[in-house]
Order: sequence, then C-alpha cells, then structure tokens
Amino acid sequence: MFFEQLINGITLGSIYAIVALGYTLVFGVLDIINMAHGEIFMFGAFIGMLLISRFEAPVLVALGGAILVTAAMGFLLERLALRPLRGRRGVSPLASLISTIGVSIFLENLAHHLFGAGNKPFPTSFGDIQFTIGPVNIYLVQIIILAISILLMVGLSTWLSKAKAGKALRATAENLETASLLGINTDRIITSTVVVASSMGGIAGVLVGMAFNYVNNQMGLPMGLKGLAIIIMGGMGSVNGAMAGGLILGLSETFMVAYGHSGYRDAIAFIAIIVILLIRPQGLFGQSLSAERKA
Amino acid sequence: MINPYYLQIASFILINILLGLSIYITLCTGQLSLGSAGFMSIGAYTSALLTVKLGLPIPLGLLAGGLLAAVMGLLIGLPTLRLTGVYLAIATLGFGEVVRVVFINWESLTSGAVGIAGIPHLGRTILARLQAAGFSPESWGLKNNEFISLTVFLILLFLTLLTLLFFSRLLNSRVGRAFQAIRMDEKAAEAMGIHTTYYKILTFVQGAALAGFAGALFAHVTGYISPADFTYHRAVEILVFAVFGGSEVLWGPVFGAGFLTLMPELLRGLSEYRYFIYGTILVVLMIFRPQGVIDRPLLNRLRGRRNEGKDAA
Repeated sequence: MFFEQLINGITLGSIYAIVALGYTLVFGVLDIINMAHGEIFMFGAFIGMLLISRFEAPVLVALGGAILVTAAMGFLLERLALRPLRGRRGVSPLASLISTIGVSIFLENLAHHLFGAGNKPFPTSFGDIQFTIGPVNIYLVQIIILAISILLMVGLSTWLSKAKAGKALRATAENLETASLLGINTDRIITSTVVVASSMGGIAGVLVGMAFNYVNNQMGLPMGLKGLAIIIMGGMGSVNGAMAGGLILGLSETFMVAYGHSGYRDAIAFIAIIVILLIRPQGLFGQSLSAERKA
Repeated sequence: MINPYYLQIASFILINILLGLSIYITLCTGQLSLGSAGFMSIGAYTSALLTVKLGLPIPLGLLAGGLLAAVMGLLIGLPTLRLTGVYLAIATLGFGEVVRVVFINWESLTSGAVGIAGIPHLGRTILARLQAAGFSPESWGLKNNEFISLTVFLILLFLTLLTLLFFSRLLNSRVGRAFQAIRMDEKAAEAMGIHTTYYKILTFVQGAALAGFAGALFAHVTGYISPADFTYHRAVEILVFAVFGGSEVLWGPVFGAGFLTLMPELLRGLSEYRYFIYGTILVVLMIFRPQGVIDRPLLNRLRGRRNEGKDAA
C-alpha cells in the first residue's frame, strides 16, 4: 500500500514538475508569469484525447500532435500578447501578467466552445495492464509517464547546460541586454523559450489525460495554479527547484488523499506557498532575492 | 418608471463599482491583488452566517464582513507585500482558491457546495420593519417589490457615493500622494522617506475591507450565496472592471464596472461570448492603452470642455 502510494505520488509529481518547468523557463528568461500556461496544457490534453479517441492514434502520435499544436499556440502567444509589450517605456511589469490572464480566459472559453463542457474520456489501449513486483502493483501507464518525464527533464537539463541554444537561453535569462550585445538574437531566444515551454505544457496535458483517463475544459486552472505554487516553492526561474517542488507536491497530495482529507487536496499547494513565502521567500532552491534571476 | 428589473441591474452595477474600487485602491501603490473574490466571499459568508445563524441585524453583519476581510487582508498582506508584485498576485490568487476550498469542505458551517439560502434580504427586511411600524408602500403609490428594489438601490447608491467621496479625499491627501509616489517608483519613494511597506499594506487592507463589504452587500441583495459565486473568474471579472475602465483615476473602475455590467444586459446575444470579450479586452488594452479607457488627459479634456461651456454661458 505504502509503495503503491509512493509510486502514485512520484507519477503525479513528475507531471507537476513538467508543468512547473514551463513556467520557470518563461519566468527565467522574461521575468513574466505566463498565466495562459495552464490553458495551453489543457489544449495539449484535448488534442491528445482527440487523436487517440477519434483517430485511434498511438500515444507517440498523440504526443507529437499535442506538441505541434501547443508549440504553435506558444508562438502566437509570444507574438500577439507578449512581444508588443516588451521594451516599451512606462509599461508596468504587471501589464504582461494581465495580458496573459486575458489569453487564458480566452482559451478556456475557446475550449468550451470547441470541445464542450464536462469530462471527456481519454481511452488508452494499455490502461489496464499492470505488473506485480513482490507485493506492489504498478500500472504500465505509470511507467510510461515516468519514462517520458525523466527523458524530458534530463533532455532539458542537458540542452540548457550543453547545447549552444541552451547556453544562449541562460545568457538571455542572466541579462537580456548584455546577451544581445554579445550577438545573441534575444528575440529569437525568447520566442523559442515560450514555444519550448508551451510544448512542455502540451506534453504534460497528454500525460495527465493518460493518468486520469479524462479531460475537461476546466482542468487548466487548477493545474496552472499548482505549477505556480511549485515554482514559488522551488524558487522562481530555478529548473532543479521546479523538479523537486513538483515531486514534493505530488507526494504530499497523494499521501494526504491516502491517509486523510481528500477535500483539502487542492489547498495543499497554496498553504505551502504561504508558508514558504513566510519562511524562505526565495524558495527552496532559489538564490537570494538580489541574484534570483538564474535559469 | 420604477422598474424592479432596471433597479436590480443598477444595484449590481453599484456593487461591482465597489468591487472595482477595491482592486483600484490596491493598484494605487502598484500592487496587483487577485484575491478580491476571496475577500468578497469572506465578507459574504461572515455576514450571511451571522444574520442567518445568530440572527444579528444586517448592518452589524455588513460591518463584521468588511472587518474580517480586512483582518485576513492584513494576515495575507504582511508576509507577501515585502516581496515583488508578482508574488503578491500569485499568493492572493492562491489565497482565493484556499478560501473557496475551505468553504466547500467546511460543511457543518457553510453547507458546502450547496451554499447558504434564505439570507435576510436588505430591502425586504426594511419593508418588514416599516410595515410593523404601520407604514405601507401604497401610501407612496408603490408596489411592495418596487419599494424593495428602490430601497436597495438607494442604500447602495448612498454607500457607493460615500466610498467614492472617502477615496477621492484620501487620494488628494498626504497619504494619497504617498500612494502615487510608490506607484511611480518604489525605491525613489522610499529614499524620500515614505514608509512604503506601511502604505502598501494600508492599500491592500483597504481593498480587502472594501471587497469584503461589497461581498456582504452582495449576500443581502441576492439572498443566496455559494462557493461558485467566488471563483477565479469572479476575481478576473473584478480585475477587468478596473483595468478596462482605467486603473489610474478613481472614475476608471466606476466606468468599467458600469459599462461591463450593462453590456451583457443590453446585448443579450453577446452574453455567451462575454469571457471571449473579456479576454480580448485585457490583451488589446495592455498593448494599446495599458492605463485603461479613462485616464487623466481624457478627464482633463472633459473638464476643459465643461469649463469652456461655462465660459460661453
């Protein structure tokens, strides 16, 4: 029982971590909280659901489709709602926050009109397959989710630390003006950051669909809020913090439900935020406030 | 002439103006709070429970609602306001969701997701009192429901005007100038000797108190509240009132709340697309007019025209 809950918690936590990574990438580079990330995640889940249930596509194709659509959405988001606000004098830093709130409201209602209200089933052909190792049952779905998320996190970390584009991204996050003086096309880096972050949201959407077997147009907000809670917990803009924060939240939610009060499950994230802000405002893995901008 | 339907819309406009002002006052020091729905629900539930379960009179409930929301505002504001605006926005957003989850789960007190019905209605209670004292609306040529709507409207109008007067006096005082300085440049304001944290918490608590008070009024005007009335969408709606109308002048949220409450009523067919329109408004405004429809130059132009008219006459 304990080990099964542990695996459930780690599975959930790794999905949370991927959602939080999308926030933290954008915040690291742009200092913007992308409030539309939760809705982009929800679109990823719907695209995956449509591909699997209507066209009986395999999971990899569903993932690919979700990545394509959410990447395009990230591109549009950056061009239409973020770029026009950038570099203008006298624009409050809250303007971009409000602008992305606008996008999120728009997308949530677009999903309502396109896909309808209520839960839509997310069927997977391997949903019932499980293995028994000793006393513990593991579902194949959980293994797939874990494998994809670990692959994604390792890939992202390597890309950020080794690849040229990843280094350019970190330089831009460190200081936008200096990076552009050094010959980095910061506009392109910013666009690709938002696109990468959005497609990670799309992947997380498909994973959630596989884990819970349903999707609906309201799922963006709570997941988005949890992602925000995680990056505050882990430290704004910190990649390792997002992963650790995701795991902590996933585990604590799972054990809260298993051993007590399921109704308060969604409140854990926010109680955690308020406690963290009180005790360690820069987050578990964050730098001190003056030097917190580090990808 | 006195149509209860129109009066009811007017009453909702007034409540929305109070809510819009609650966000405006927090924005006065450059702080974005997304917890207005949470504070509103605290005010609404406090007043509703006090009047339904303990039988307290409505005015006491309204005051208690505003007061408790202010206390919660202080508790949330103290740790978060020392940080940058983004943290505050998220912490308040989280706070609103926690409050809603608590109201859904604390079933013994709040009846959970079902909500609280049978909250004493502001107008009906007054009518019952007056009738007990021998007054009848017919003597004024009014039907009972017309009298009820009219009383509610007039009380709300009085309270809204009082709030507007209070804030216009406040913003033109030493305190108001401190708010403006903080909004313009917090570090410079601090260097000039302004206690920025104090003033930021002051606006935040004022906003929370006003939202709680408006929430309490909402409970006594609708007679029924449930956690579904105070979701994230409510917080966004209140934010749009201030941002659309104008977040730099007091008349901004007044115009925003009035226009955006009337719009779906006038264009019934559009109400389905209301949130599409809200979303688009937010994005487009941030690009072309981040200060909102009404700003200082526009007000000055309107005033100038009025003065010219006076001169001509």
